[in-house]
Amino acid sequence: MKKLHTIFAGLILLMLVGKAYSQDLDALLNAETKPTIDYATATFKASRIINGHSIEQMKKRQLDFRISHRFGVLNDGAYGLYGLDHSVIHFSLEYGVTDWLMLGVGRGSLNKTYDSFAKFRLLRQSSGAKSMPVSLSYLTSVELNSMKFTDPIRTNYFSSRLTYVSQLLIARKFNDNFSFQLTPTYIHRNLTKTELDKNDIFALGAGARYKLSKRLSLNAEYYYTYNPNAKYLDTRYYNSASVGIDIETGGHVFQIMLTNSQGMREGTFIPQTTDNWFDKGIHLGFNISRVFSFQKDNY
Amino acid sequence: MLIVFVASFSAFSQGKFIDKNAFTSFYSSTPMEDILGESNEVLTILDSSNGEIVFQALMTTFHFKRALMEEHFNENYMESTKFPKAKFKGTIEGFKKEMLTAPVANIKITGVLNVHGVDKTITVPGTIGTDGGKLVATSKFKVTPEDYGIVIPSLVRDKVGKEMEITVKATYLPYGQ
Repeated sequence: MKKLHTIFAGLILLMLVGKAYSQDLDALLNAETKPTIDYATATFKASRIINGHSIEQMKKRQLDFRISHRFGVLNDGAYGLYGLDHSVIHFSLEYGVTDWLMLGVGRGSLNKTYDSFAKFRLLRQSSGAKSMPVSLSYLTSVELNSMKFTDPIRTNYFSSRLTYVSQLLIARKFNDNFSFQLTPTYIHRNLTKTELDKNDIFALGAGARYKLSKRLSLNAEYYYTYNPNAKYLDTRYYNSASVGIDIETGGHVFQIMLTNSQGMREGTFIPQTTDNWFDKGIHLGFNISRVFSFQKDNY
Repeated sequence: MLIVFVASFSAFSQGKFIDKNAFTSFYSSTPMEDILGESNEVLTILDSSNGEIVFQALMTTFHFKRALMEEHFNENYMESTKFPKAKFKGTIEGFKKEMLTAPVANIKITGVLNVHGVDKTITVPGTIGTDGGKLVATSKFKVTPEDYGIVIPSLVRDKVGKEMEITVKATYLPYGQ
């Protein structure tokens, strides 16, 4: 009986080994395949969701040339060609120094603003051998308002025209189509319009994209300001809200949007949006991104 | 019984050759744009008992001069999160064990190429043999992305070639060393 057992066990073992042998190349391949860290890529199509920064940044030695327009309000009507007569423009050059650091400089026609920023990638969302639920970046920027100083009572210091922005970008690509980002924001203005306005502004941004096809996505973005500017004469301030689409065509990304903000930098569109979606205060606009590579070898 | 086990186990990996860092590139050239993706992390195993050969490439190991090309390659064309690997499993035609120790000579390999989740049986030319004391194999062939369900939109049709030239270079070591 014991002998029978041994033969039986031996047969099973032989069968197992035989089975492994017949598909051994695949088995060896699997054994040699090491677990990989799968980083989430292309959480958003461009480095902006609409007005604000997305978690994306240029990789090493990649230069992004961006041109953006925001037109006047749609309720200008036919006389102002639905806002197209009054465009503000912003253009910028943004460069990936390394995969984790992007530097940018820009100029906007609204308030004749010069700006510069640095964006640091701190964490990358990943699965597989290393798991990380979100991507995290830090953005810091300085904006200089270069409009002629018109207040005769005050001395015009250079520093009084500066605005500082700090943002944490926390993003997650939930699946191939849906990504979401939260953007806690702190803005410091050295000089505000009136003494009623706070120098320090706290805001929380939320942005999302949904891919409609491989080259088309629907985006939305909202910035909630906790301590908005006070109502000043007939000027009221609103939270910035935008919807748009991204169209990707190889080397270009076109972003076309409807937004109540005409500014295109954080220090402007977060605290200084004066138009209201529900009162004909909608601007049509677009961003164009063109990426140039200065990478010599294969990336 | 133990002896049987050990004997079968050693047979299991005997006569196998492996290269964990085989080179694979794909190249397309049009008047508008050249596209070149390269990976040095392709895994290949050769069975010297029957001339069977397998290749496995992780899509995310392919690198490009332009970071955007790499993103589009993974996001739009290969859909790397859905289909992370490409695999080829084939047999060297008229295989004899001596082919591995002889100087490098032309061969043909027939097998199944799986790219983007689509299987296709192909026969490709190649070379195999010993060069400078090392077992080396190469292959160069063309594939059509459409055959593997990879759609090139009309917008970029003049930038992406109709056919991709695939180049494979492997230098094998005995398995387990």
